[in-house]
Amino acid sequence: MTAPLATPAVVVERREPAARRRAPRLLRSPSGTLGLLWLLLIVLASATARLWLPYPTEKQDLTAVLQTPTAAHWLGTDELGRDLLSRIFAAGAGTLLTTSIAALVAVGVAVPLSLWSAGAGPRVEAVINRVTEIVMSVPGVVVMLAVIGAFGTNLPLVMAVLGFLISAGVYRVLVGQAKSLQANLYVDAARVDGVRPVAVSLRHILPNMLTTILVQFVLIFAIALMIGAGLAFIGFGPPPPEPSWGGLIGSASKHVYDAPWLMVPTGLVLILTVLAINAIADALSVGADAPPAQIALGRAARRRRPIAAVSPAPAGVTGLAVRDLAVGIDGGTTLVSSVSFDAPAGRVLGVVGESGCGKSLTALALMGLLPAGLSTTAGSIHWGGRELATLTEQQLGTIRGHEIGFVGQEPMRSLDPMFTIGYQLAGAVRRLRRVPAATARREAEALLGQVGIADPGRVLRSYPHQISGGMAQRVAIALALAGRPALVIADEPTTALDVTVQAEILSLLRSLVRETGMSLVIVTHDLGVVADICDSVVVMYAGQVVESGTVFDVLDDAQHPYTMALLAADPHAITDGTPASRLASIPGQVPQPKDWPGGCRFAARCEFARAECHAPVELEARSAGSGAVRCVRAVDLHLSATRWTSTGVSR
Amino acid sequence: MVVFVLKRLGLAVVTIVVVSVIAFLLVHAGTTTPGVIALGMGATPAEIAAYNQKIGWNDPLALQYLAWLGKAVHGDLGVSLTDGRSILNDILTRLPVTGALATGATIVSTVLGVALGVTAAVRRGLADRVVSAFTGIVVAIPAFWLGIVLIFLLAVQTPLLPATGFVPFEISPSGWAASLVLPVLTLGIGGAAFVGRQTRASMIDALSQEHIRTLRATGTPTWRILYVHALRYASLPIVASVALQFIALFGGSVIIETLFAMPGLGLDIQGAVGSSDSPVVQGLVVIATIVVVIVNLVLELVSGILDPKLRTS
Repeated sequence: MTAPLATPAVVVERREPAARRRAPRLLRSPSGTLGLLWLLLIVLASATARLWLPYPTEKQDLTAVLQTPTAAHWLGTDELGRDLLSRIFAAGAGTLLTTSIAALVAVGVAVPLSLWSAGAGPRVEAVINRVTEIVMSVPGVVVMLAVIGAFGTNLPLVMAVLGFLISAGVYRVLVGQAKSLQANLYVDAARVDGVRPVAVSLRHILPNMLTTILVQFVLIFAIALMIGAGLAFIGFGPPPPEPSWGGLIGSASKHVYDAPWLMVPTGLVLILTVLAINAIADALSVGADAPPAQIALGRAARRRRPIAAVSPAPAGVTGLAVRDLAVGIDGGTTLVSSVSFDAPAGRVLGVVGESGCGKSLTALALMGLLPAGLSTTAGSIHWGGRELATLTEQQLGTIRGHEIGFVGQEPMRSLDPMFTIGYQLAGAVRRLRRVPAATARREAEALLGQVGIADPGRVLRSYPHQISGGMAQRVAIALALAGRPALVIADEPTTALDVTVQAEILSLLRSLVRETGMSLVIVTHDLGVVADICDSVVVMYAGQVVESGTVFDVLDDAQHPYTMALLAADPHAITDGTPASRLASIPGQVPQPKDWPGGCRFAARCEFARAECHAPVELEARSAGSGAVRCVRAVDLHLSATRWTSTGVSR
Repeated sequence: MVVFVLKRLGLAVVTIVVVSVIAFLLVHAGTTTPGVIALGMGATPAEIAAYNQKIGWNDPLALQYLAWLGKAVHGDLGVSLTDGRSILNDILTRLPVTGALATGATIVSTVLGVALGVTAAVRRGLADRVVSAFTGIVVAIPAFWLGIVLIFLLAVQTPLLPATGFVPFEISPSGWAASLVLPVLTLGIGGAAFVGRQTRASMIDALSQEHIRTLRATGTPTWRILYVHALRYASLPIVASVALQFIALFGGSVIIETLFAMPGLGLDIQGAVGSSDSPVVQGLVVIATIVVVIVNLVLELVSGILDPKLRTS
């Protein structure tokens, strides 16, 4: 099946698709399995109905009309004494067959159309889109009735018309996926290799769409089953003596007074079949887990989890004092443990580390802003004489914005896209400063001026999508300042911005600290930012603090090998004046929380690791200067003035 | 914005013309001629041929279509083959019945569906599981079967409401309301399940957005975050699902009006299809298309108002 021009790399790429895993995924879902079993039962029972039905479909017994279930008639009898069980399953095969015509036509039209549309460029796509929009505006049921009016109840034809009308909707679903598949690099590679467009579509696009196509087929089958039953219900089903599910329910509706049971068996068979099909479609669809809510909901919002080991407020610390903070998945893995630091008033603290080390979670935990499913599991967050770790959502509401402000990583996503900046900023000012609306508007304008926005009036009238990323981050900072907080927590505030804008935002933060006297906790992976703006720094690795101290101590005299490695790997920090030396790197990756060892978590990547590193390591006071370090070899490494040299190449 | 509106209007007109051509061609491709239907069983072939000749059935198709279109744009949709009544007058007297049914059912679906969906998304836990199970089952129940169950429960078991039939508003407002309750509930409950599922998904998506965290960080009260900001963010897909639901209810009214014996457009087309009354079918197809097109235009307009990105582009 390999065509002459297929490149091997491309073939490997597309071997991965769903085809092989589809059946197991369906069977892994209990409701999907049940649905499949029911559908198989119905299909088999209907297909073999002739062989096992207890009564001929039309056998009347006028002595036993409108019966409820009896030993002779398991599901009862209709108004002519015909056996209901026999009639339901005699109707099954025809009903299922004509219904599948609709699904086949819908998929048969939509699949080639979407492949063509996605492969043939924007002009063809625009034309096909217009045509499908028109088809989608056609009132389906009414047109099907018009077809019946013209050609009689020719059910295969009617179902084909239904399938054609639905195909426009299926096309909409499929074309989106086909287009995103067309954008893949390996598809580009195939095209560059000279594979013809049709071959690209059939070989690289279609196989990856099979699951979606199957789900659509199944869903349309369910819709067509319901619509077909509806038409039969109002008398446009198979011509009389032949039974159909809709027709059976139709005649049952005439006996709702004298024999209500009559509607139950056929109705249940139809409903259970639709339910089974929907369950199969659900199980087949690739259910990407929804991202967690950014707000505690339901029971989690009312109940505040008990915190282990709340420690007394440390003496002599003004501002923020964090002790032994731990964050974990509710009822599961601990992600951050025993984090301690102080952020005194008017100072800037940097929290630094690689991605996945827990620094952002720590920042969010300080204000109780963790997404649903995560919570602070231990430790203390002392702030202004209160213990933030145990406050309720409502109590935290009096601190957030008022006393502590927050600036997030993605300025564009941290602003509400549905409201103007003026609405968001003036609303926050009004609530946080308790001033009337007109005053709030003026103060919002002043705030925008304070964060360096030249024409505040225009920005206030704008929606977030109308301003640039750097501008949006200034607005986010203004929003954090709206309640004149004494502390601002900034979670990677420059990461998503262009380099030139990063410098502007940093200098803005620095000047705000100087002018307002607030303190700042800034989370970053960039040691340059730390050197630039911070007074003290906490280095985190794999959910732990590995080193802390003043910026001077930690950057000039790093004692933890991880800090040394970060410094040696920083292209901007050429500390010894010999730029010719090769830039160092850290071999390996930050381990996943489930893989954290009992001993030093950095040992596996550390070029100085010894046997003793595999025992648990405590945070100890630095041998020189203030702060702490978590390394059993810190003292001897420090005495021998060892440097991190690994370049990761030879290892 | 003006160009956008003109484009949509243009597409709407094209849609109506295309569907009317299809309906016209269907009538001509059919197995019978107007003469057979209009003159009944007793007519001789000669009489039928004369009738067809008189109404222009043998003219070129394009000419016949243009003649129909010319009258239609002036509000003349012709007369019924079976009883000679004016089709437009007939539609105008029946439209309020179907309109009341579809509007009532849309209101029930929207109010109930949004309430269910928001509750499920906001409270999670048990409430979410109950709502998800309920809506999941209800979307699998055909409206006509649900209608029979409701008749059985609310008209037969406990005779609170009339089982079938329709009382015009002018005759008795309370009778009108009572006759609408069961059909509206029948269509509305199914619609509520559909709108509820969409609302739940949209609200869950909205609540996972990062700007929700910003709102919390500025001390915004929880009710305001949920019901002003998150619901506003979720409103676009919810409104789209309501519009889709209205269109589906209009189509579903054919079946429900038959079940409840309501003299609306649905019962009309069912009768016309049964008796091959082609001008009536043709007129109703066009009217139904116009309704769909108008609902889609209103949806575009509302989306334009709700979505700042559409509005400001």
